[in-house]
Amino acid sequence: MYDPLLALLIGLAVLAVAAWLLWPQKGLLHRWQRARQYSARVMQEDALKHIHRAERGGYRATVQSVAGDLQITVDDAARLLAEMEQAGLISRTDGDIHLTAEGRESALHIIRAHRLWERYLADETGFAEEEWHRQAEQLEHTLLPTEADALSARLGNPTHDPHGDPIPTAEGKLVAHGGVPILALEEGMSARVVHLEDEPEVVYAQLVAEGIAPGQRVQLLEKTPQRVRFWCDGNEHVLAPALAANISVVPLLPSQAPEPPQPGESLADLKIGEEGEVVRISRACRGSERRRLMDLGILPGARIRPVFSSPAGDPVAYLVRDTLIALRSEQAKMIGVRRIPVPEEQPV
Amino acid sequence: MSVSASTLRGGPPPSHPPTPEDILATANALRWEIGADFHEQLMEDIYANAARIASRAVTRPTDKPRFDLERSIDRIVTHRIWGFPIMVLLFMLVFWLTIEGANYPSEFLSSVLLGTVYPWLKAVSGQIGVPWWLDGLLIDGMYLATAWVVSVMLPPMAIFFPLFTLLEDLGYLPRLAFNLDNIFKRSGAHGRQALSMMMGFGCNAAGVISTRIIDSPRERLIAIITNNFALCNGRWPTQILIASIFIGALAPAYLAGLVSALAVVGIALLGVLLTFLVSAFLSRTWLRGEVSTFSLELPPYRPPRILQTLYTSLIDRTIFVLWRAVVFAAPAGAVIWLIANVHLGGVTIAEHIIHFLDPVGVLIGLNGVILLAYVVAIPANEIVIPTVLMLTVLVLGVNNVGAGAGVMFELDSAAATKELLVAGGWTLLTAVNLMLFSLIHNPCSTTIFTIYKETGSRKWTAVAALLPLGLGFAVTFFVAQVWRLLAGA
Repeated sequence: MYDPLLALLIGLAVLAVAAWLLWPQKGLLHRWQRARQYSARVMQEDALKHIHRAERGGYRATVQSVAGDLQITVDDAARLLAEMEQAGLISRTDGDIHLTAEGRESALHIIRAHRLWERYLADETGFAEEEWHRQAEQLEHTLLPTEADALSARLGNPTHDPHGDPIPTAEGKLVAHGGVPILALEEGMSARVVHLEDEPEVVYAQLVAEGIAPGQRVQLLEKTPQRVRFWCDGNEHVLAPALAANISVVPLLPSQAPEPPQPGESLADLKIGEEGEVVRISRACRGSERRRLMDLGILPGARIRPVFSSPAGDPVAYLVRDTLIALRSEQAKMIGVRRIPVPEEQPV
Repeated sequence: MSVSASTLRGGPPPSHPPTPEDILATANALRWEIGADFHEQLMEDIYANAARIASRAVTRPTDKPRFDLERSIDRIVTHRIWGFPIMVLLFMLVFWLTIEGANYPSEFLSSVLLGTVYPWLKAVSGQIGVPWWLDGLLIDGMYLATAWVVSVMLPPMAIFFPLFTLLEDLGYLPRLAFNLDNIFKRSGAHGRQALSMMMGFGCNAAGVISTRIIDSPRERLIAIITNNFALCNGRWPTQILIASIFIGALAPAYLAGLVSALAVVGIALLGVLLTFLVSAFLSRTWLRGEVSTFSLELPPYRPPRILQTLYTSLIDRTIFVLWRAVVFAAPAGAVIWLIANVHLGGVTIAEHIIHFLDPVGVLIGLNGVILLAYVVAIPANEIVIPTVLMLTVLVLGVNNVGAGAGVMFELDSAAATKELLVAGGWTLLTAVNLMLFSLIHNPCSTTIFTIYKETGSRKWTAVAALLPLGLGFAVTFFVAQVWRLLAGA
């Protein structure tokens, strides 16, 4: 007979090793697969993107900046750039790095692939917003131009990625989002959010956590060196100016001025028996989730009334367009409503 | 829309009729101006239009009745205090009706198919001189396995499914999903998984099909993969038999029934717990990227249409599942008969495999016979115990028990079954681990095939089959080692 204690220990060790190897996202196997994908071609493509960004942003791309962006040594970066020059992707005149026509085309393709993937991740998958960028960084290198066209067609040829960045067209045309930082607004002015910068990730995650998304209406309430206070999507936000600088907006003319800021009430704020009229579905609710709510007839103008809640208090059953629909609290928070003070007995 | 219209109107008057290229170019330019939400504006307009038409054309009773029956029922069945007791009572009733009601038809079918038709078939084949191997393969193998599956499987399903469909038809089940959603939400699942899980207590294949009601892709996959942890109808008899002869026997006679019943309920609850744990694991790891939405319509209550219910639940669920089971059971019967009758080097194939599997089996607190039984009985959990008994007799070389090599059987008395199993080397640990393994192992082939049909994906089918199997090996292994440590100390 064998020793059960020994078997037990061996069993635990096997379990630990298996977890270490196979754990999703963190396991050795996953890391190894990811490292293998990070080939020379991927580095070239990332360098192209960096130089393109520098050209558009009006700053100089250097060997050092490429090394910093790709997190490689300066020597490796120099070697990489030499290879790219040889391949005719870039040209260098006394330290300045420029894209050649061919290089620009490749860079635009990568950007197009990246933004299409972000759109895809936002609309067709359940990944959290903070993950889109990182995933797209990997996926962008796997798409051929024809595949990018197919993906674009499948997504309904979107014009913008979920952060508000315009997606280059198949012909390589890139339209600027045309926004200005929210800090450029005067106090009291209204604007529409057109873009959120998705790098650095920490800052972006904070903006997402605030519930800010492209397409929302904002009104600047207060601007001081310490803080920026603005109304957006039914809520008041206070951000440090450095954070707020990552939000780009297009000012609205007074004639296009949005409805005056309303007290930001969501469906979750209504008590059983109260009634509200849907005024908006938050931009943060997207993809299938959004389509589902709209399919159910939860659209601006619809009347909605919580009828009863489940034993745990969540989900709650709502009466909308004569149908009882149960929604979870996270969904109810996405639906902005205007309270209807006296329940009228008129049909919707 | 107004943007595009005004731009078109505001442009200079065209000097020549626009060419198709001009139109395309204008359309392309305009696409960037209309904004991303024009689909939504369109949809809003459609709804607004429909609402306007409806309000003109539809008249409604102006004053509401003072007593709204629907809402009153809703308030009771979703009540903070009464909601759960009502649910538990209803399901105890359904299970009691199923188990009690299935007894008689099951015995009847068994006595007809196994007690009358089987000897008759044997006699006929003996008379017309069918060769022994063909007779064994067709009658002892294929016919017997199929008959066994039908007689054990059909009656409970024929009772359980219509009852379930009645509750569904009545409108109660959506309320049940509504009540339980909060619990399922915590493990990243959908409230409707409660329904597919309960269906799984009847039959996992039917449970997997019933996940169609979950409209969110991620939650549906979770429900499909974890459905196997609902202890199905084919495994209840195994649990009850083993619990009563090994675990109930530990307690004084007057408590034996209660103790073994508690053991079986404990296993079923462990299955529910595993459902939540595995759901939580899946939703946080492999299924993180699948689309997840939630909505649950609570339809009005309706008086059930009993005849239609009976018909659809018989055709859609019972016959459908039964047919698939039969399709898989017949070849398995043939395999079982063959491995017990084909000799290699003077020893049957079954014995070769059992010798090979025995070290692994003993390591995880089972034995080679049980493992082989689980391999060949993959089409239906119902035939695991008969196969175990047949193989035990084969290995022990007992002559006065059973019905011959490759012929499955069950013993009439529990005591005789226990005697045979103990002779085959069974201990209390074997019994406990068999109960655990019976709960936590790969789904039967009918269910695996159904999972493949429903997901259309080899990958998820493999996960659904191998995840519980690996988990089963791990659980039995650790239980066995800890048990032996404690027993040895």
